[in-house]
Amino acid sequence: MKEIALEEVGKGGIWVFGMLEEGKISHSVLEALSAGKLVADALQKELALVCFSAKDPEVSCFSNLPADKVYFVQNESLSEFCDDVVARVLIYLVKKAEPTALFFSADDEGCAVAPRVAGVLRLGLCAHVNKLEVKDGKILLYRPTFGENIVAVLSCKTRPVMATLAEGAFAIKEVETSPEILKLKMPEEFNWESSFKVKKIEKRKKEASPLLNAKVVVAGGRGMKSKEEFEKLFVLAKELGGEVGATRPVCYEGWVSEDRMIGVSGVSVRPRLYIGFGISGALQHTVGMENSEFIVAVNTDKEAPLVKMADLALIGDAGEVLENLLRLITQEKEKSK
Amino acid sequence: MIDYGLSEEQKILINLAKSIGEEYIKPYALLWDEKEIYDPTPIKALAQADLFAICIPEEYGGLGWGLFEMCLAVEELSRYCAGISTTYAASFLGAYPILLFGNKKQKEKYLPQIAKGSLCAFALTEPQAGSDAFAIKTTAQKDGDCYVLEGMKHWITNGGIADIYVVIAMTDPAKGPRGASAFIVEKGDPGFSVGKKEKKLGLRSSVTTELFFNNCRIPKERLLGREGMGFVVALKTLDYARCGAGAQAVGIARGAMEIALRHATQRVQFGQPVYHFQAVSHTFAEMAMRIEAARALVYSAARFIDSRAKNITGASSMAKCFATDVAMWVTERAIQMMGGYGYMRDYPVQKFFRDAKCLQIYEGTNEIQRNVISRELLKYYK
Amino acid sequence: MEKIIVCVKGVPEPGSVKVDPETHTLKRESSELILNPPDRCALELAAQIKERHGCRVVIISMGPPNAEKVLKEAYSYGADEMILLSDRAFAGSDTLATSYVLARAIEKLEPFELVLMGEKSIDGETAQVPAETAAILGLPSVRGVFEIKFDGKNWQVLRERGSFVEEVSFSGRAVIAVNSRLSYCRPPSLKKILEAREKEIIVWNAKDIDANEKFLGLSGSPTQVEDVFQKELKQKGEIIEGEPLSLARKLLEILKEKEILK
Repeated sequence: MKEIALEEVGKGGIWVFGMLEEGKISHSVLEALSAGKLVADALQKELALVCFSAKDPEVSCFSNLPADKVYFVQNESLSEFCDDVVARVLIYLVKKAEPTALFFSADDEGCAVAPRVAGVLRLGLCAHVNKLEVKDGKILLYRPTFGENIVAVLSCKTRPVMATLAEGAFAIKEVETSPEILKLKMPEEFNWESSFKVKKIEKRKKEASPLLNAKVVVAGGRGMKSKEEFEKLFVLAKELGGEVGATRPVCYEGWVSEDRMIGVSGVSVRPRLYIGFGISGALQHTVGMENSEFIVAVNTDKEAPLVKMADLALIGDAGEVLENLLRLITQEKEKSK
Repeated sequence: MIDYGLSEEQKILINLAKSIGEEYIKPYALLWDEKEIYDPTPIKALAQADLFAICIPEEYGGLGWGLFEMCLAVEELSRYCAGISTTYAASFLGAYPILLFGNKKQKEKYLPQIAKGSLCAFALTEPQAGSDAFAIKTTAQKDGDCYVLEGMKHWITNGGIADIYVVIAMTDPAKGPRGASAFIVEKGDPGFSVGKKEKKLGLRSSVTTELFFNNCRIPKERLLGREGMGFVVALKTLDYARCGAGAQAVGIARGAMEIALRHATQRVQFGQPVYHFQAVSHTFAEMAMRIEAARALVYSAARFIDSRAKNITGASSMAKCFATDVAMWVTERAIQMMGGYGYMRDYPVQKFFRDAKCLQIYEGTNEIQRNVISRELLKYYK
Repeated sequence: MEKIIVCVKGVPEPGSVKVDPETHTLKRESSELILNPPDRCALELAAQIKERHGCRVVIISMGPPNAEKVLKEAYSYGADEMILLSDRAFAGSDTLATSYVLARAIEKLEPFELVLMGEKSIDGETAQVPAETAAILGLPSVRGVFEIKFDGKNWQVLRERGSFVEEVSFSGRAVIAVNSRLSYCRPPSLKKILEAREKEIIVWNAKDIDANEKFLGLSGSPTQVEDVFQKELKQKGEIIEGEPLSLARKLLEILKEKEILK
């Protein structure tokens, strides 16, 4: 692995940040990198993955990444995630290499580090961006806001342009080539001390929301009249080999846990089939599922946004249609026995 | 439909009880009922909201308000779950003896804890002594600086979850009713144990248990009032608490009616909402009238009691008896008005019906209440 | 322990904000503000610390003059003082400008032990202000925190990060972004609600907090809104009406067609 001085780092590039944890780049960082490629290609700039780890990484974890370069920083003190040190290193690198843009995945690490960098360097930072566009050399960042059907298009007056990118919003690009891997030489006197002592207590069983890679998603909204009715979706999901999703109001009601929330502050899904039961389709939710291959809406309201965007809309009471469907499925199973 | 001229503070109290009901009780009431579990979370919320401090005097950390305000809170909570409001109201049943008969030391020791949410329980009933309360057999023998309690109580609300228990026991069996005394027993006192938890038809989120006293030694300072005052303490306490049961009944009836009414205005049969059929709308009119009458009676009785009137027995007895009978009638009709939806356990109205039944029985059955009222009547029409 | 600072925000009722189709600006249907729900989690942890260690809880909020109701609601969860940061110059602030104002106000409140904030607001949902404010103050920040303990010298907080639960310890001060998924948040207390009615709210403007004009409002906001629009929708596919059973049959057909059901 080649080691280079900081002065040799390409200036003005499009950077995407990611921590290496357990020797791997996470799914969401790969998505962010793919989004960065869009911008890098449009602006004809170098795309680099800026990556930190406690130990020297395996070269193989960077194969076929859609980046031109990987700049990585290795130091023992990066074995635990200390927000202050990670931000400090990134701030130092940004000052040295003055990238054009710095993107993060809107995961826990990105959301912890990006604002610290923005705060210290007085930079504009856009959150949960789910669409990027380059127009006349300017980067435009799209994000839904205020919950209902409102999209804001933002830009940054400062450089680098900073944004956290919504998980699941950008498809992962696969390329034949692999990036050049360069280890950065940090100065001797660099302060690696953290105000924090971090200790891992436990690892929870599930890695990410079960929705992220689901091929079939059945989702429920306020049109399901009760928690009991909503819970029948789990039965349907099991039959179809899919997962259950929900809208924000339903999660806040406590009908289901928040990791099932599809939308701006939840998860973005791209299943082959999405069925929305009793969901009106507030933008807050639809941005999280609009890239589904085939969308079915079951709703009593013909004018509902989800009905209008659906490939197939069934106008009826969601709970009753669900019940009937479950019965038909059981009958089909009996028949095939 | 009638404005009772509530003050701003009273309205704030009701809104607070309502928001606690919406957030901490409503989403879980059916689950607790179905699984018959006691969840301490809503009680913790009520304590943090200062709702246990309502009728505790200010000098002991309370708000210094009265029974009327306590009834307002109980009524509102009962709209959401009568089991939770029972746990709450029964705690006041255990606290009133100390409030009314405690000496300075006892008040200083217990009232501040109670205001902060330490639950209380009132232990009078025994297997052979229900309506015939005077038939209790638990004894309390003086032994030096202590009293030793021996016997058992059953069907005690908050058994096991309360920290403070007011127990009525015989100090001098030869004297009959005049030989009973009231004691404060604390959880953890030697020889005091809690028996099995009862399985009930309703009020399933509340806890009802047996209590056992086997050579239970308590310091003599735990005597409430004087020896021989046991039934005076009990009956005076019940005079206050019965109003609370009446308030619960009003809340249960309102809760059931509201659910059934909403359903009736949305349920379409024969091309129109069923509320349009007179058999249905007239039933709701009847419900509303009876609930308002019960409410007016409970409020009048509570205000009367708070005015420190001398003879409050008849008033609180009437309030309890009338309101609880109304609640039973209203909840039964509410099920009928909802038809199948009233009968299914996935829907809440049937729970109100099962909860209401207990109110006609506890804190003195409605038959006993009628005895009390007819006796009181004589005092006015000799 | 002297005091903890809790930053809260008044947000519009969900659903009450729309876009004017002609001017492409945001229109608020009502000026009613509610207390940002995730802030209750910050207030809950602050109340726990106060119960255990007996400190004062000071609430600050950057908002319009009618945010008074929101401050009093926050107070009722166990606070001791309310400060409203209000000035025309603050209008149009993005997260950086907002964090700058909060940082200035927090400095004015020295000495303090800790700053708590809800991890995000339900209108902007950026989740950036806690860490940006910390960076401007030169303090460390932690997010996803659901438990805070103090042993007399050090703070120990538990946070959720990705698939891990981690213990983060530190002495000194920090800005904590409290996890919105706390399993329990207390209700307001009756005594505090009654107290709040008469309690004075201290109002600070830009001058009171020694704020530099160029870091405020639109000029202090490096993120710029180029456009806002309400999404137009055109009818896409087939619409079928009917009885629930026939609709279910159609759905079954699709499931078989796509081989999701064999």
